[in-house]
Amino acid sequence: MAKMSKWLSLVMAGTLALSLTACGGSKTDEGSASPSTGSGGKTDTAKEKNITITFQNIYPDPTDPKNKLMNKLVKQYESEHPNIKIELDSLNTDQQKLKLKTQAASKEVPDITIVNPAAQMQPFVEAKLLAPLDDMLDQNGLRGTFQDGLLDWYSFDGQTYAVPDGNNIGVVYYNKELFEKGGVKVPTTFEEMIDVVKTLKSKGIQPMAIGEKDTWTGSFLFMNMLLRTNNGAGFLKDVIDKKKTFEDPAFKEAVDAFQNLIQAGAFQEGVTSFDYNAGENLFKTGKAAMYFMGTWATGGIETSSVNGKVGVFKFPTINGKGNPDEFMLAPGSAFAVSADSKHLEETKAFLGWFMLNFPKEAFEAKGAVGIGQKVDGDFKAAGYSDMAMEVLNLFKDVKGGDLAFDNTMNPGTAQAHLTSIQNLFVQKKDSAEVAKEHQAAFEANNK
Amino acid sequence: MNVLKVSRLTIAAFVLPCLIIYVGIVFVPILVSMYSGLLDWNGIGESRFIGFENFKNLFFHDPVFWPSVRRTLMFAVFSMAEIPLALLVAILLKRYIRRPNFLVSSYFLPVILSVVVVGQLWKTIYNPASMGGMLNQVLNAVGLGSWAHEWLTDPSVAMYSLYFVALWQYLGYHTLIQYTGILNVPEEIYEAARIDGAEGFTADRYITFPNVIPIFKISIVLAFIGSLQAFDMVMVMTGGGPAHATDVISTHMYNMSFLSMKYGYGSSIAAFLVVLCLAATFVINLIFNKLEKRFS
Repeated sequence: MAKMSKWLSLVMAGTLALSLTACGGSKTDEGSASPSTGSGGKTDTAKEKNITITFQNIYPDPTDPKNKLMNKLVKQYESEHPNIKIELDSLNTDQQKLKLKTQAASKEVPDITIVNPAAQMQPFVEAKLLAPLDDMLDQNGLRGTFQDGLLDWYSFDGQTYAVPDGNNIGVVYYNKELFEKGGVKVPTTFEEMIDVVKTLKSKGIQPMAIGEKDTWTGSFLFMNMLLRTNNGAGFLKDVIDKKKTFEDPAFKEAVDAFQNLIQAGAFQEGVTSFDYNAGENLFKTGKAAMYFMGTWATGGIETSSVNGKVGVFKFPTINGKGNPDEFMLAPGSAFAVSADSKHLEETKAFLGWFMLNFPKEAFEAKGAVGIGQKVDGDFKAAGYSDMAMEVLNLFKDVKGGDLAFDNTMNPGTAQAHLTSIQNLFVQKKDSAEVAKEHQAAFEANNK
Repeated sequence: MNVLKVSRLTIAAFVLPCLIIYVGIVFVPILVSMYSGLLDWNGIGESRFIGFENFKNLFFHDPVFWPSVRRTLMFAVFSMAEIPLALLVAILLKRYIRRPNFLVSSYFLPVILSVVVVGQLWKTIYNPASMGGMLNQVLNAVGLGSWAHEWLTDPSVAMYSLYFVALWQYLGYHTLIQYTGILNVPEEIYEAARIDGAEGFTADRYITFPNVIPIFKISIVLAFIGSLQAFDMVMVMTGGGPAHATDVISTHMYNMSFLSMKYGYGSSIAAFLVVLCLAATFVINLIFNKLEKRFS
């Protein structure tokens, strides 16, 4: 009996040790997925090393046309260059922002990553984490494929550090069927919009949807209202230049308008627990009548169940102020290259090739509405939907606009603003107080 | 030391490797983090030494910090208040159930579920009735609709909803610990008490409680320290929102470090948390040592 138990304990100790090593083994496997070192890079033949390029991106959804075209282009490149393997790291937007920050802190930025324009990428550029891409852009005329002026949002000190996947504007998508059911028409002024909301609500139709757990969504909508009440773009720039403060009447008017919309019951219950995808799904499954979002959402709406029932309209004027041809401008998330990449030349070669083929592939995959490059093609003949044509026509009307708050102000100020706006969804607050909050946060973070 | 008949040098030599690893992995990062608290640093760029300014801002100028401390301490208090309940359950299990192993295991089940799973589960339960939330639907169905709240988005109830989930998850854990403690009390004492006429809860008052105090202390310390660090549950369910209504110290630290890119400031919050945990452990140990002396 004693011998038995001795053997048993030996076996158990052995199994335990084995399982520990197994756990340890799999952990290191996970760990090697993200850093930018090529795993097979040690086989050092003269010309053709086996290298792995890590490609961090924000297209995790397989129904997204951009995801499909990315996979197609990656496979094509891999087959043309057998010594290069491209590892995809697909995350949703907010998770990617976070992951990049942690990777940046430990200097393990992936070879290709995603950054957002202007103020959001500035800390990375200043910390010298991104490689300038001007040489890549000067090859094969890549620079010329981008819309005029677009690359400015990604350039600092005369050098460009990222190439965008889109150039979008903020529009209001609406469900034509639900509008008919509720007996309402497309509003041309904000006051009409509030009436539409009240009518729809009284008929049991959810007027608007938003994914306010991701705080940038509410901020995006709010900034569009500020664009109207300020009677033009550039409010935040004026605040930064100290020409105005947040206690300006235009800001307070925007806060009041925003709260009116919320108090009229526009948004779904528990709005601050819906993230971006959940909020958009509410619209895409026909459960909400209106959805304010950037035109990047077009592709997803077309592949959803409400395709064919959706139209778009420009955000209306507030109290007669503002120009509906001024939109919230959203230069897209952009691909950047790590300055410390172990395979800088190969990565830039891949990215350059990728961006050259991006417009064509996006056009064919029906995801070309809102990309940042010029596309030659007959959209209608290619089978783009009526809604896509409507959106493309809106692009022609753009006469200017503003960037989102978190692309203009530094992260400290932006965070204070984002939580302040999120708060308005949950409780009513005096607009003068909100203004004071913003001004205090701005001053504290911009000493 | 000499009982082992081994020289002190030998003991030191054997303990040293592990000690070095432990110090390197636990103490050195804590000290580095405390040093980071003295910097103005955005996490990826240059840092600037600013002394105690982060701490000054934290204690005097941060409107989110003290409410988050209050919520964290309340979390700790609620967690500690759960232990007597766990003890009661353990006592009942021992007295009235012949083979309680199955019940103990099933109570323990939520503990081994990942926090993310528990968080998602309760988020769905807490959802508004229109989104299929079970709790509100049940309340509406039995006519108690007025008790239905927006459990995770109403600032006044959100934190309590979170407390409940954490307590639900760990009840089994503490029950198991207390149950093991009760099992260690020798049966003879109870028999002797029964002869003297003390049964049931009277016996518990004079026999079980005093003997279980060391185990009780373990549970209290675990509950307290664990709740001070609570992060994943809050992050998964509400993210600290809406508008800081459910922010605890660790989520505030996370938001400051990663979202507002104020890594130095976040480090100062972390330093505060470390000091708080140490102080709390010290105080709890002191109280329980006094209690143990009184009872034995």
